[in-house]
Amino acid sequence: MASYRKPIAAIAAAAVVSVTLVACGSSSDGGKGKTTDAKGGTLYYLTKRPAEHLDPQRMYIGRDLADMNRLVYRQLVSFPVTTDKAAAVVPQADLATDTGTSSNDGKTWKFTIKDDVKWQDGKAITCEDFKYGASRTFATDVIIGGPNYILGFLDVPKGKDGLPLYDGPYKNDNAADFDKAITCDGNTITYNFSKPFPDFPLAIASLNSFGPYRKDQDQGDKSNYAVFSNGPYKLEGTWDVAKGGTFVRNPEWSDDNIRKALPDKIVFEQGLTNEIIADRLIADVGQDKTAITDRAIPPAYYTQITGAVADRATLTESPFVDYVLPNFNKMKNPKVREALKLSTNINGWITAGGGDKAYKPAQSIVNPALVGYKPNPNFSMLPAGDLAAAKQALKDSGEKLPYPIKFTYSGGTPTSDKQAAALKDGWDAAGFKVTLNPLTDTYYDIVQDPTADFDVTWGGWGADWPSIATVIPPLFDSRINLTAKSNGQDYGNYKSDTVNSMIDEAAQMGDVNDQAAKYAEIDDQLGKDVAYIPLEITLFYFLHGSDVANYISSPASNGYPELGGIGVKQ
Amino acid sequence: MRAILAPAAVSTGKIEVNMSLSASDLSSHEAQHDADSLEPVGTSGIAGLSPTKLALRRFRRDKLSMISFSIVVLYVVAAIAAPLLVKLKVLKPNTPHSDLLDVNQGGIPLGKFGGITWHHPLGIEPGLGRDVLSRLWLGITYSLGIALSATILAVLIGTVLGIVSGFVGGIVDSVVGRIIDLTLSFPQTLMLLALSGTMVGFLGGTLHIPKGENGNTVQAVYVILVLALFGWPPIARLVRGQVLSIREREFIEAARALGASKWRIYFKEIVPNLWAPLLVYFTLTMPAYVSAEAALAYLQVSVKPPTPTLGNVLTDSIAYSVSDFEFFFFPAALIAIIVVSFNLLGDGLRDALDPKSTN
Amino acid sequence: MFAYIVRRTISGLVLLVVMTLVTMMLFFSGPLHPERHACGKICSPAQIAVTKKAFGYDKPVLVQWGQFMQGIVKGRNFPEDKKLEKDHPELVVHCTAPCLGYSKYFTQNVTTLIKTSFPISLSLAIVAFILWITGGVLFGVIAALRKGTIIDRGIVGISLIFYAFPTFFIGLFLYKFVSIKWQLVPTPEYIPFSQNPWSWLTGLILPALTLALFFMAGYVRMTRAFVLESMSEDYIRTAKAKGLPARRILTKHTMRAAFTPLVTMAGLDLAGLLGGAIITETVFNFNGLGGLAVAAATNNDLPILVGLVIVLASFVILANIIVDVLYAVIDPRVRVG
Repeated sequence: MASYRKPIAAIAAAAVVSVTLVACGSSSDGGKGKTTDAKGGTLYYLTKRPAEHLDPQRMYIGRDLADMNRLVYRQLVSFPVTTDKAAAVVPQADLATDTGTSSNDGKTWKFTIKDDVKWQDGKAITCEDFKYGASRTFATDVIIGGPNYILGFLDVPKGKDGLPLYDGPYKNDNAADFDKAITCDGNTITYNFSKPFPDFPLAIASLNSFGPYRKDQDQGDKSNYAVFSNGPYKLEGTWDVAKGGTFVRNPEWSDDNIRKALPDKIVFEQGLTNEIIADRLIADVGQDKTAITDRAIPPAYYTQITGAVADRATLTESPFVDYVLPNFNKMKNPKVREALKLSTNINGWITAGGGDKAYKPAQSIVNPALVGYKPNPNFSMLPAGDLAAAKQALKDSGEKLPYPIKFTYSGGTPTSDKQAAALKDGWDAAGFKVTLNPLTDTYYDIVQDPTADFDVTWGGWGADWPSIATVIPPLFDSRINLTAKSNGQDYGNYKSDTVNSMIDEAAQMGDVNDQAAKYAEIDDQLGKDVAYIPLEITLFYFLHGSDVANYISSPASNGYPELGGIGVKQ
Repeated sequence: MRAILAPAAVSTGKIEVNMSLSASDLSSHEAQHDADSLEPVGTSGIAGLSPTKLALRRFRRDKLSMISFSIVVLYVVAAIAAPLLVKLKVLKPNTPHSDLLDVNQGGIPLGKFGGITWHHPLGIEPGLGRDVLSRLWLGITYSLGIALSATILAVLIGTVLGIVSGFVGGIVDSVVGRIIDLTLSFPQTLMLLALSGTMVGFLGGTLHIPKGENGNTVQAVYVILVLALFGWPPIARLVRGQVLSIREREFIEAARALGASKWRIYFKEIVPNLWAPLLVYFTLTMPAYVSAEAALAYLQVSVKPPTPTLGNVLTDSIAYSVSDFEFFFFPAALIAIIVVSFNLLGDGLRDALDPKSTN
Repeated sequence: MFAYIVRRTISGLVLLVVMTLVTMMLFFSGPLHPERHACGKICSPAQIAVTKKAFGYDKPVLVQWGQFMQGIVKGRNFPEDKKLEKDHPELVVHCTAPCLGYSKYFTQNVTTLIKTSFPISLSLAIVAFILWITGGVLFGVIAALRKGTIIDRGIVGISLIFYAFPTFFIGLFLYKFVSIKWQLVPTPEYIPFSQNPWSWLTGLILPALTLALFFMAGYVRMTRAFVLESMSEDYIRTAKAKGLPARRILTKHTMRAAFTPLVTMAGLDLAGLLGGAIITETVFNFNGLGGLAVAAATNNDLPILVGLVIVLASFVILANIIVDVLYAVIDPRVRVG
């Protein structure tokens, strides 16, 4: 689903934006005469939402993907630990000897696995383990919820319903299809895709679903919270679904140039509210001195972030962009959509959500950290908009005024309510008559229903890997989204043959940069049609304890704390 | 003489979103019959018999009761006036004032004391700058409206089933008894929470209850329905007990002998005898439902914002205990005053109506 | 008496069976799609259908209910797939009778989940219970003895005020100020009694106090009323007239008469609380049955919800039976028919 407010989120890029607030590197975090880059100590990770899956083929939350990559699930290639936001999205060799070689226009990829990398029980990681891991995603009745891109990309025959005929390692029907598509030759693994996959290394580094899995450890659904590590840490005991768990050092870990692995122990404490986390980190006593979090400081607490506390606060851009979009089944008049765009009260939305430490205005649905990002010229007048021009456009539309619209959004919280009210204020001023329709449980039922009667709705998106290919096609390709019963992720029921054919052109390109240029063109077309109106980029305003050393975050960690580099003062 | 406490009348999942105070008070003062064949030997049921005038005089003499009565009247008048004042644009619960907010401090009001000025006597709300007084005032209307509707519905269901059960007896009586058992055995808060999504979908989708402004009519109907559907059993037991005791009295016998129809007897003779305990029950249930609404808002299953119920405003305010104390304080205080004054009023009424009561 | 208990137990069991059916039917009455939620970010309708089947939600409600009842009596396997049981026994979860179902979200048997959460709710309920009973009775008696004085009014008034503020407000207030700001008690968290009894208590104290303050109001007022009422009863007056000392009358006669109904009620309240305090557990991040309920409701996890309804209802039904029986034993005015 397209919302990070719902249990599914995504991965991609973020950037450290506020130099004044960010305590990057060891220099600003020194103090107290303690060394900062030393190993040892216990790091506490305070968080709210419990991890839904720890199974590498099932996990899909940006935070968990980044964390587990650093702690337990190494990949063929991974992103480096760095604060340089450009370098952070360039994959480095990790379990593989290099970053892979592609041939056949990006349809074939080869990697060679290092010799001396081991599982936590000391056994070597083999090519078969990678193959087995990839096969698990095909068991869609057991391995539920994970990223399933491989089903679409891998060169295997598909049935009438669009699902591959190969159904995973458990039922193992049509296994020969799969054995042809991924082959092992000693330590070398070859992936054969049915279409170009030039950004495959980005996908590997971002998602854990291409990672290895040991067959003898697999218990299907029962393995959902099992962690069989090949990284610097391993799970101590078992994972408590509600409360969290503790990671300790894995002695079998070796040959890793990416992870610093500074703390001896990392403890996850789940289920805390944002307010309690902020309270505890502001108080900064006891074990909370070495605590970090992935929960933003609630706006109500901003007044308390002063003096010494402010030194422990960091402001980072998240991978997420929020947007609103018109329903093309109802709002067919382009002038009306133009008026909607020009009168969208983005500044009011941002203030209602906490102001300039919570959001930064966006110029496109594409996050700036993605490879090939360009601001969309059709939205250059945002966030201020142009109320006079909006009024004029609505008048010129020939529609009866005031023009009634229904805004359906994922509501139920005081903040989402205030933000919607701010938008209503702007649209009403331009000559619309807005009815707010906040939904909670039924939100996706309504917005994914092609016959629903809303005029405008809300969406949020983060790219699955730092490539525009994971933004525009999933959201605006009408052929994969629109069916009689559902509009998939295309909530606005947007349908454009021009855009569809341009998406096809981009998909056939074997080069990442060519692809990006094409996607910028598509984005421009979307802007002209007002297929969406970008609102903002969510900012991550995080606190950490005073004895946390070397606090960093980057696009490689999705803007969350970078567990590959953070340590504890000794 | 006190008869047995009806077992489940005061029990179960009502924890926290609840009416234990009123239910327990009632059961200690009114005769209650257990639907489960535990027959009490004695019953009292004096309450309804005391002359109204006497009760009124006793009530007026009690200072605390009169004070709480005045506050309750004030709240009711305010609740009725609010929609009118919104129409006249005296109250503006939905008008944002972004210009009065501090964008760099998370959108809290500029100035001291939560943005209190002549225009905004209780300050403005962080984030959007809507007038707190307007929102709380209109919130009283919504919260009391929900509580009132739920109470009326609960009393209605309870009274009808109680009368039918008490009068008809036999199989009907034991069927009603089973339904009461079933209802009371359900963990109430859990059901309220778990059923919200599916039931709201059912009410809106299958029964076509209009969504209303902000999609809230159907949500309000859900809250009222579930509160009432879990709230009626104590009333049914109370009424049944009253009916059983009154049924045996002479004046009913006399009415029967005179050939009065069954329904005439129910409503002309029984109902007037029930008003006193029901009135007490009513005043004690109302505040419990106001609290319940707040708790449901906290669990995000009440009427959704931007509709300003007291629960919604309170839920929004709890994060601001430090940065905007005024905003944090007013909603909670308002709810507390409602609950206290209704409870004191209920106590006063009960004492006045039941001369036997000792406190 | 024995026949009565048997009869009550049987009717309680019938009640539970009806409740499972009612709960399932209510849950399926509206449009909820847990499978869509679980399926992942980008899911084709075909995949959603596969997920729905994997969850078992594709079958009619009555069939699902039948399977559920079978699980309680005989136990169940998840998934119920004979071929898979033969080829990959390691993938099949066996749930022994009485099986309350299997949560796909927690990938755990519901019985196990409830068993692990229960000690938390139990601890909370017990500590809260002790606090509110001692507090309620103590203050209630004092208020009754000092009837009409400022002490009486103060006690009744303050307890009413604590009752009047919403529970979550009191809870958050205690959490934020007593624990975080003033650091008077450690951060509330559940530490098993067996691990460290002192930490167990200090970790529990704030949530328990939150609950106790809520319940206490009722008990103060009731104790006060009962004490006053029984002091005016004939036999007490007789005792007074006979010249028995006041303290003796209070402890021997008044208290005894007043406490019987009080203990009854307390028992029922405790039974309700054993099922978890949803709001208090939410406020303090306790993963007892209340926390489990919230998690299940958020994820539309039907097996857990049905399981919780059954377990919570059995507490209440059981407590009712016990209380009724005890009452009949203690109070000769009640006959069991």
